[in-house]
Amino acid sequence: MYVELRNLNKQFNGFKAADNVSFGIERGHLAGLLGPSGSGKTTILRMLAGLETPDSGDILIDGKRVNDIPAARRGIGFVFQDYALFRYMTVFGNIAFGLTVQKKEKRFIQARVTELIKLIGLEGLERRRPHQLSGGQKQRVAFARALAPNPQLLLLDEPFAAIDAKVRKDLRSWLRETINKVGVTSIFVTHDQDEAVEVADEIVITNSGRIEQVGTPTDIYKNPQTPFAAGFIGESIVVSDYGRLHGFQATDGFDQAVLRPEFVRAVKLEKEVFPHASQHGTVQEVYFRGNALELRINLGGQVVTSHQSLEEEAFKVGEEVSVLIYRLYLLGRDSVRLMENASIKSDGSFFI
Amino acid sequence: MRTKVTKVILIILGGLFIASMLIMPLTTVLVYALRQGLTVFTSAITDDYAIKALQLTLLTCCITLLINTFFGVFAAWTITKFRFRGRQVLTTLIDIPFSISPVIAGLVFILVFGRIGWAYPLVESLDINVVFAVPGIILATTFVTFPFVSRELIPVMQAQGREEEEAAALMGARGLRIFRKVTFPHIKWGLLYGVILCSARALGEFGAVSVVSGHLRGKTNTLPLHVEILFNEFKVTAAFAVASVLVVIAVIVLILRNIVEYRLKREKG
Repeated sequence: MYVELRNLNKQFNGFKAADNVSFGIERGHLAGLLGPSGSGKTTILRMLAGLETPDSGDILIDGKRVNDIPAARRGIGFVFQDYALFRYMTVFGNIAFGLTVQKKEKRFIQARVTELIKLIGLEGLERRRPHQLSGGQKQRVAFARALAPNPQLLLLDEPFAAIDAKVRKDLRSWLRETINKVGVTSIFVTHDQDEAVEVADEIVITNSGRIEQVGTPTDIYKNPQTPFAAGFIGESIVVSDYGRLHGFQATDGFDQAVLRPEFVRAVKLEKEVFPHASQHGTVQEVYFRGNALELRINLGGQVVTSHQSLEEEAFKVGEEVSVLIYRLYLLGRDSVRLMENASIKSDGSFFI
Repeated sequence: MRTKVTKVILIILGGLFIASMLIMPLTTVLVYALRQGLTVFTSAITDDYAIKALQLTLLTCCITLLINTFFGVFAAWTITKFRFRGRQVLTTLIDIPFSISPVIAGLVFILVFGRIGWAYPLVESLDINVVFAVPGIILATTFVTFPFVSRELIPVMQAQGREEEEAAALMGARGLRIFRKVTFPHIKWGLLYGVILCSARALGEFGAVSVVSGHLRGKTNTLPLHVEILFNEFKVTAAFAVASVLVVIAVIVLILRNIVEYRLKREKG
C-alpha cells in the first residue's frame, strides 16, 4: 500500500469526524472518498494533507509515518474545493508559486510552468487573473498549481462541486485521463456517486466518520457489504415488506430490502414471460428523464421505480402492467444479503 | 406617485439635516476664522504655541498610526485566520475603546501611571514621565483609536477565508511570504481605509488627551486642546483660525477616504 491510514480518530467538540478510519491506496491509483456531506471525508483528506492533526492513529505515505511531518514537507498537492487560487497573481504566478518557494532556477520554473499550461490546455492565458477565468479553467489552474512541485500524492476536495453540469462531465474524463498520464497517486472527495464511479479506480465509502466499504466501483455496486453502502449506491429505494413481492421470502434477521430501478422490469400484460415470478401493478407516474422514462408502479401498496427505454411503447398512467423483480438486497443490522427471485428458475424450466 | 413624494421628502430632510448639522458649522468656523482679516488669521496659526501644538498633534498621529497599524493587522490576522479558545472574547475586547468614554480612557492612564498609580514607581525608576507628558498623550490616543484598523480588516480577511493561505502553506511558504504575497494584496485598500479613519480620529482626539495632557503650552498641548484654550481665553477668532486648520486636514482626509473607498469597491466588484 502506498498511502495507508491506520485507526485514525478525530473529534471536533465531541463530534466524531473520523471514527477508527483505516484503508489503503495502491501507488498510481485514483481513489474516491464517497459519502454524504458531514460523513468525514473532507476531514480525512485534510488529515492526510496535514491541515488537521488526528487525535490518534497513523498516516503512512510510501511506508513512512508522516504524522509528525509538517504539511509542507509531505510532498502533497492539494486542490481546494473553491480552488483557492491566489487572486492577485496571474495564472503563471499561481502555477509557479510552489516552485518559487522552493527557490528553483528561473529557467526551470519557466519550462515547468509552460509544460503544465500546455498539459491543462490554457496556452495564451498565462497573464490572466483568476477572476478572468471560467470555473473549468480555474479548476485546471488549481490542478496544475498542485502538480507543479511534483507531489507524490495529489488530494482533491470536491473537485467538481462548483462547476456547471455540462462542463463537469468533460472535466471528469479530462481529469481522469490527465491523472493517468501524469501517473500520480490521487485521492479525491465527492458526494456524487456518478462522479466517483466514473472517475475512481477505487471507491472508499464513508458514513458518519466511519469507512463503510472499500472496493472498485463494480465491486461496490454489485456487492455492497453494509446496509449503508447498499442504500447509498444507485437510486435505491427501501422496501420494508419485501416478503409480499412475488418470488421473495421474508428472512429472519433482515427487516428491510433495497430495490434499485434496474432490478425491476415492467412489461405489458400480454408480453409477460415469467408468470409465477411476476405480479401485476398499476402505473402511477411516468417521468421523462431525457434518455429514458422513469416509472413509478404501485404493487399492492408498495411503490417501486423502474426505467423504460424510449424505444419501447410508453405506458399510460393508470395502466395495469406485469412487473418482474430480479433481485433485492436484504438489509440486516450489519450485513447485506443478495436475494434472487426464486420463482424465475421454476418459470424457466416450465418454458423449456 | 406616493413613493415619488416620499423620495422627495426624504431627500429634502436629509439635505436639511446635513446642511444644518455639518455644512453650516464648518462654514461658520471658516467665516469666524477670517472675520478679522487675513493678518489676524495668519498670526493666529503661525503663533509659536499653535505651531508647537500642530507638531505635537502630527507626531502623536504618526506614532499612533504606526502602533495601531502594526497591532491592528496582527489582531485581525489572529482573529480571522486561527481558531482558538477565547477568540470571541478577544474580538469583543478590541472594541472596548469604542464603547468607553474617552475621558474614562484618559483617567485610566492617570490611575495607572500617575502619582497614585501602581505603575508609577516603575516609570519613575525608568525616568519616564507618562502623565502630563508626551508619552501619556500618545498612549491615550493609541488607546482611543485602537479598533479602527482591525475593525476594518476583520471583515475583509474573513471574506477571504483561510484556503489561499493554506494552499500557500502547503507549498512550503512561510508566514512572511504568505502575508506579503497572499494576504496583503487582498487587504491593502481595507488597511489604508482603516489607517485613514484612525488618523482622522487621532488628529481630533480631545477627551482622553485632555485628561492626561495637563495643558502645558508648547509642551503637551495638541491642536484640539489649543483651540479650547484660546476659546476659553476669549480669543474667539484665533480659536476658529486654529480650528480651521483641523477642518482643512479633515477635508483632506475625507477626500483620501473617498478615493480609497472607491478603489475598495472596485476591487470587490
